[in-house]
Amino acid sequence: MKPDALRGHLDALLLATLDGRQLHGYAIIEALQQGSGGALDLPTGTVYPALRRLERAGHVVSDWSTVGGRKRRTYKLTQAGQRALNTERTAWREFTTVIDGVLGGDGKWAQT
Amino acid sequence: MGTDVIERYVTDLGSRLQGSRKQVRELLTETRDSLADATEAHLDRGLTEKEAQKRAVEEFGPVREIANEYQAELAVAYGTRTLIWLAIVLPLMHMAWEYGRMLLIGPWQDFGAMPPAWYLFIAKANDLTSGIASGVALLALILGRFLARRCDAKLLARLGATIAIGAVAAVLLGNLSIILATAHLDVSRLMQSLPMTIASMVTWIVIIRLGLLARRCLSCVTIVA
Repeated sequence: MKPDALRGHLDALLLATLDGRQLHGYAIIEALQQGSGGALDLPTGTVYPALRRLERAGHVVSDWSTVGGRKRRTYKLTQAGQRALNTERTAWREFTTVIDGVLGGDGKWAQT
Repeated sequence: MGTDVIERYVTDLGSRLQGSRKQVRELLTETRDSLADATEAHLDRGLTEKEAQKRAVEEFGPVREIANEYQAELAVAYGTRTLIWLAIVLPLMHMAWEYGRMLLIGPWQDFGAMPPAWYLFIAKANDLTSGIASGVALLALILGRFLARRCDAKLLARLGATIAIGAVAAVLLGNLSIILATAHLDVSRLMQSLPMTIASMVTWIVIIRLGLLARRCLSCVTIVA
């Protein structure tokens, strides 16, 4: 998938990745790639500024801790982040329902 | 030898960043860790160390593009820090100075003759400037948090730097005006109390410090392409 198409959804994807767990940067990147079956083709370096942006918005909090013998910055959702994720999910379902109603019609209008 | 690829990338990235030293250091540590993790993952897939590191760096993104995104965040963070300083320090500084004046010099009425209306107007305007500048900084901080995900980081950083510079310039102008007005009215009043002269000098040091912070905010923003 093209990076430009993903950029607008990166915040929501990151919130979803952190849902119910605390992860460090590279674990988030791996989870994103695994969740998409390897289709997410975004420069991995763009994840870190996006995490800072989410932290600024109060949607995630970060903490330095030792993971696997290395000091790492880990991220988790805040309550506001959880609410933002729920809103993003609802908006996405509405969006896909509307678009699918038109694009997913297999040209049924042309047949009538 | 492979480490050179990652270290070169991190060094190049670091040389393009400007902001709080602690935040730059943390971003670079996180970058180095991420590249090391990616390298390990590629080694597990059978690449040689050099190939694995090269792939990790390629996946991370072009250094210029990544530096630009990092810098925008650093600029916002620096602006936020400066606005916090302005919101806290300005009212405290003003209250401390006013309290000192009342204690060491006394109210205006004790001067024998009340200062002329134009002088009181400048004094009042100067009093208000600190409060307004601090209030604007506080409002910008609240708005900045609200706009964090709705507004481009570069634009947010520019707005923060502009507000910080405007606030410091207003306070600077207010303080300069009251000093010039006092000198015009009665120059001896400027040196009437040694503790107050020292307090005024401390005030100026704080204003200059805040001015330097605000200028650095702008410089953090201007290097974002």
